[in-house]
Amino acid sequence: MRSFGVTPHARSSIRVWRWVTVSGHNVALYLSLGVILVYCAIALFAPVIAPFDPFAMSGSPLAPPDATHLLGTNDLAQDIFSRLIWGTRATLILGFLGAAVSVVMDTIIGIVAGYYGGRVDEVVMRFVDVMMTIPAFPLLLVVTIFFRPGIYVTAVIMGLFGGLNGVRIIRSQVLTLAVSDFVVGTKALGAGDGYIMGRHILPNILPLVGVKFVTSAQHFMLVGIGLGFLGIGDQNLVDWGQMIERASQNGGIILGLWWWLIPPGLAVTVISLALAWFAYAWEERINPRFQVMRV
Amino acid sequence: MRLAYVLRRLLYSALAFGISVTIMFAILHFMPGDYITQYLEAIYTIAPPEVVEAYNHAYGLDRPLIEQYFSYLIGVLQGDWGYSLSYSRPVLDVVCEKLVWTLVLLLPATVLSAIVGIVIGAYSGWKRGSKADIALLNGMIFLRAIPSYWLALVILIIFAFYLGFFPLGGYVSLSALDTGIDPLDVMSHAALPIFTLFLFSVTGIYYLMRNSMLMTAGEDYIVTARSKGLDDPAILWRHAVRNAMLPTVTMIAFQCARMLAGSIFVETVFSWPGLGMLTYEAIEVRDFPLLQGILLIDTLFVIVANIGADMIYPFIDPRVEVGS
Repeated sequence: MRSFGVTPHARSSIRVWRWVTVSGHNVALYLSLGVILVYCAIALFAPVIAPFDPFAMSGSPLAPPDATHLLGTNDLAQDIFSRLIWGTRATLILGFLGAAVSVVMDTIIGIVAGYYGGRVDEVVMRFVDVMMTIPAFPLLLVVTIFFRPGIYVTAVIMGLFGGLNGVRIIRSQVLTLAVSDFVVGTKALGAGDGYIMGRHILPNILPLVGVKFVTSAQHFMLVGIGLGFLGIGDQNLVDWGQMIERASQNGGIILGLWWWLIPPGLAVTVISLALAWFAYAWEERINPRFQVMRV
Repeated sequence: MRLAYVLRRLLYSALAFGISVTIMFAILHFMPGDYITQYLEAIYTIAPPEVVEAYNHAYGLDRPLIEQYFSYLIGVLQGDWGYSLSYSRPVLDVVCEKLVWTLVLLLPATVLSAIVGIVIGAYSGWKRGSKADIALLNGMIFLRAIPSYWLALVILIIFAFYLGFFPLGGYVSLSALDTGIDPLDVMSHAALPIFTLFLFSVTGIYYLMRNSMLMTAGEDYIVTARSKGLDDPAILWRHAVRNAMLPTVTMIAFQCARMLAGSIFVETVFSWPGLGMLTYEAIEVRDFPLLQGILLIDTLFVIVANIGADMIYPFIDPRVEVGS
């Protein structure tokens, strides 16, 4: 497992270095989990934390940060800090709901294809291949513009269109499980296919599914906020993409109003980084051989 | 075998394109509100029913659904992709014109990220667990976590706005009006968008290459090469990389789809007149026919990229003949 190039002497310093980085499982894992939980708490308690109504005019427009408006106000005189806090909700909903939909879909398809194998597998995988050729993001754009769905429907659509790439990973894992002794044994005992898939195969791939869920959540968060950035987010909500768009279109760049432009982007980057880190550390823990390919 | 493979490949490609077209048709048909009514509302406040009916008849919207579907399908295949509302030109013309400008960004960005991604990914995977590997890995995780639109904005602000090294946007300077388009001028405009797209796409190739390298490093022939007394760099670049990069090459085609999505944001931020910014414009003015055209051309683009990767594969791996 170890690279040949690392000398024993080098290892001790690496161990220290690792402690604070990704490969040192613990710190990375718990730190990123901590960040994710903090975001969840902010989303949950947004009404308590935010000092102002995110849509209300709460002062003079384009005010710089001060004690009442921690991050100043935007061109509509809305409190940027409050909008930032409320925006957490939209971000988490888009990410986690989208990921849930795609992971459930991938898991079901992957288990069925891998378990039955043969013709079923062939047909399913060819279908996945074909669907992967259709660019998910432009398709998502078209559908969102035509149907103007709310945030929940958007998240579901996102999960349906953008999720299929996980099928391959899950299926390949199930393929090996399906011919393993305990599955063959259970089959010999007369257990039904549904029972084996649900009770024996699913628990074995759950860690993999979990990692996939976290990476998907990160992906869909970025995509969902991207929709807001393109001006087709849910107008009834505050989301960070809409905030970035507003700031960049209405003078945030030209006037150099960093407190308007930087915080939403930074907020996305931090949660996205936490999820990526968490997924990586978790994956290393469950799967030291890195069998999961990330694209 | 070879012919069968090519035919199968073409069949799948056609299927993917067909599904795209079908989805487009379904969306058109099931969208809330009536297409004609919406279109006519630009002229009338409330469209008179007889006008709506006349239009429906003129466009064949009163015919059976299946007939409409096939006439739509045949139209698409004949190059009739509809008429852009905002450009007042056939969609296919607009889309093809913009595709060229997108390729000006995508091709260099793809080549650059493939080369850099493969090289540093290989090195990182080879030196697994070393400081260099961990630093690279963390750097890449960090880079991948930054949303592309945000990255583009920050790069624009730093390099174009504050440092002034590059123009703020567009594809040529105003002087092009007098002197014509100067390739050097276009390149200085393209530099930042290409760089952003490169950063956006290099992480994916790096991950794959690193993972692939981790697998390869344990193979027997690597041990053999080592026992022959070859030095480390020779084994790495002559033996390991050549094998480890194979899966990566196929994934570069998939990467193209991701790049297309990324280019929507990058082009919008840098006002680059390609497909991405066209998408943004079409969204802003709700130019439905144009959006469909964009989706179709994007699908075609990914299909072509996939076929391209398949064709390149045998050149990189002499053991593989096309289709085997």
